[in-house]
Amino acid sequence: MELTNRIREAGFRPVAGDALRIDATEPTAFLAENPGTLAVEVAAGCRAQLVVLCGAPTAAELRIVLGTGAALEAAVVFLSEAFAEISVVQEAQSSCRLTTAQFVSSEMRCRIGLEGRGAENELKGFFVAAGTEHCVAEIRTEHRATDCRSDSTVRGVAGGAARGEFRGMVYVAPGAQRTDARQQNRNVLLGEAARIETQPQLEIYADDVKCSHGATVGLLDGEAVLYMRQRGLSENQARSLQIEGFVGEVVSHCGIGPLSGLLTEAVAAKLEKM
Amino acid sequence: MLSVKNLHASVDGKEILKGIDLEVKAGEVHAIMGPNGSGKSTLASVLAGNEKFTVTAGSAEFLGRDLLSMPIEERARLGLFLGFQYPVEIPGVTMANFMKLAVNEHRKYRGEEPLTAGQFLKLMREKSAVVELDSKLTSRAVNEGFSGGEKKKNEIFQMAMLDPKLAILDETDSGLDIDALRIVATGVTRLHTPQNATVVITHYQRLLDYIVPDYVHVLYKGRIIHSGDKTLALKLEKEGYDWLINDYREE
Repeated sequence: MELTNRIREAGFRPVAGDALRIDATEPTAFLAENPGTLAVEVAAGCRAQLVVLCGAPTAAELRIVLGTGAALEAAVVFLSEAFAEISVVQEAQSSCRLTTAQFVSSEMRCRIGLEGRGAENELKGFFVAAGTEHCVAEIRTEHRATDCRSDSTVRGVAGGAARGEFRGMVYVAPGAQRTDARQQNRNVLLGEAARIETQPQLEIYADDVKCSHGATVGLLDGEAVLYMRQRGLSENQARSLQIEGFVGEVVSHCGIGPLSGLLTEAVAAKLEKM
Repeated sequence: MLSVKNLHASVDGKEILKGIDLEVKAGEVHAIMGPNGSGKSTLASVLAGNEKFTVTAGSAEFLGRDLLSMPIEERARLGLFLGFQYPVEIPGVTMANFMKLAVNEHRKYRGEEPLTAGQFLKLMREKSAVVELDSKLTSRAVNEGFSGGEKKKNEIFQMAMLDPKLAILDETDSGLDIDALRIVATGVTRLHTPQNATVVITHYQRLLDYIVPDYVHVLYKGRIIHSGDKTLALKLEKEGYDWLINDYREE
């Protein structure tokens, strides 16, 4: 697929083997392709970027550990049917930005553990499902220490007879005071046969917390399509542009080299065929 | 340029336009006034091609073509611009992206090559100056988080970018403070040439201090009941509509 090659040519540093220990701040992003099992550890105070590409049918297991004050920006891109389990364990004051992109049938289970005080996690993900594809995004965020912040957003697009599923859970352990947790899932249905199931859930065992969650499933905004057509865009262009914008608000969050632009183009290319 | 004859249109089975006749020639400015609910915005929407409305009788020609048989985007590409009363927000779609697609669709329709990135940026800079639109707004999502004044300036900015033959401005003055009104109206005036035409729909005479109309029409209950020159707007401002509509009230 086009995107696979473009990511390969983006100048990232390939990862070999099933373990990656980062103990210096790395200016170049790492690229792990069809990793199978991969354990990534970012040592205390270090910063790095990582792209995980599932470009062939895979069952992937990705375990990420961030030491105290470490920072990781990671993106997981699904271009082939895959089942992926992602676990992120974060020590105190660490920060993790995740982007997940599901372009094909795939099941992603992501478990984020905020284990140390003041850890921060931001996840922005999307899936675009066409035909009879089935995308599952499961995000479980566990606040196990005080003063942690998490913000997860998943946006889903389902056309044709495709199915999309979001299973969200924010768990706040006893004693994890001053937790600030947000989780949001928004979806757009493009066809009458498309389906979205969404389950945003909260489980809170501390009393001084700020938690919000929400989910929406809707259709395209007809007024916006009309507005764009009045400016000369065809109905298809207007619809595509609107979905690109919907997904783009998530994609633009990704700060790894040219990846955000590449993902945006891949979304547009997929929409063109829907 | 535009020739509307006996135009009837309805929405959800309710007739709103009950026989509109309107002739607009190149170089002219027409103002359409009238009380609330008389069908002004419906007329704009029907001419633009909003499918929510059904044309039940009459005809409309635009540049010699049958306007009513064309879909909304083709009318736009042919040179009809509608300035929306309530511009729509499109999250995640930048003004620059949106306008680039729009401008190039217009060019394609005319058989011209698409603009290069450099040409496009130059055009954007040039045209955003027409309405003193902060050039930062063009990198933001379409109308999202724009103030009321910015949204209306943005409509005129898009008009400048697309250079239409006929611009129909639906209450472009509503919700504007004095400064924004001056900027928007001056922008419209600057864009006016002997080759294009403007139809402004407004409640207030004050817009017409800037955009001086050649003709003023009063729309009431789906018909144009009276037409005159710019002095009509002044008289309406002073005396209201009662002297005109009393005769029609019983119909």
